[in-house]
Amino acid sequence: MGQQVFIFGAAFLGSAVESTEALTIVLAVGLTRGWRAPLMGTAAAIVALAVLVLAFGQLIVTTVPESALKLVVGTLLLLFGLRWLHKAVLRSAGVVALHDEEHAYNQAVSQLGGAAARRDWVGFVLALKGVFLEGLEVVFIVIAVGGAGHGFPAAIAGGIAAALVVAAAGVAVRRPLARVPENTLKYGVGLILTSLGTFWAAEGMGARWPLDFVSILGLAVVYFISSRLAIALVRRPALA
Amino acid sequence: MSFVRAAVRQVVGLFVGDWLQSAVVLLILVAGWLGISRFGAPALVALVVLLAGQLVWFARAEGAPPSGSPR
Repeated sequence: MGQQVFIFGAAFLGSAVESTEALTIVLAVGLTRGWRAPLMGTAAAIVALAVLVLAFGQLIVTTVPESALKLVVGTLLLLFGLRWLHKAVLRSAGVVALHDEEHAYNQAVSQLGGAAARRDWVGFVLALKGVFLEGLEVVFIVIAVGGAGHGFPAAIAGGIAAALVVAAAGVAVRRPLARVPENTLKYGVGLILTSLGTFWAAEGMGARWPLDFVSILGLAVVYFISSRLAIALVRRPALA
Repeated sequence: MSFVRAAVRQVVGLFVGDWLQSAVVLLILVAGWLGISRFGAPALVALVVLLAGQLVWFARAEGAPPSGSPR
């Protein structure tokens, strides 16, 4: 039960971050070019992504031996999580700029303004491309988090719940979700995914963790401490 | 075609930000795999320490100011 909650939470948080980025693109297209085409593009992307999850998810879970699945998925999850964690460390230390959805939204709107003379399929393709590419990350998170731990239903539920919550918030405010603490979320999700990845990769190698999945929390503490150490070592002083 | 290229870039970019760091992580995992089958729990601890250590190392390498600049 505890592991299922963990899987749901990891899939929800990771998917929420990516859904926010997809929403920014759809809002920018919809508000500048009208809603019909981008909504159709979004629907087409969601169908394509659902097919990917069902096809690959089932194929992977039913055909790959469990230890190999844990090793491969754990390794990919570890690489994925470390990438987010690395970026979060550099952002927290002031080495790279914080991701700004408001800025990304305004940039997309100004680019679309220049393309306004083109035909309506531009809106469709832009939304399709944006949602599909951002959604690929959601698909990976759902397959990786759910596949290796027998938690597909929980992971899919987490991904869908995140998409619905972000979409509902987007409909309500009709603005990019600039207040979503994306950098903090990515830091937290990076920690969770890195810990899950280490846990599963090691299990795939034949290791047995003390206290089973509770060890994931211990791993998260280790990665948290090392990330704070990294931030302390590279922190740039604020400009006066 | 550009869409397919963008999709491939996106998928590869999910896992690889810095090729060197990714290679080091994979090397650590291979070493861990060999070590766990021989030494068990101590190798597991070493695996975690090395993975956490490379995070600090690569953040420091990328985040350190150029030599000679004031901190």
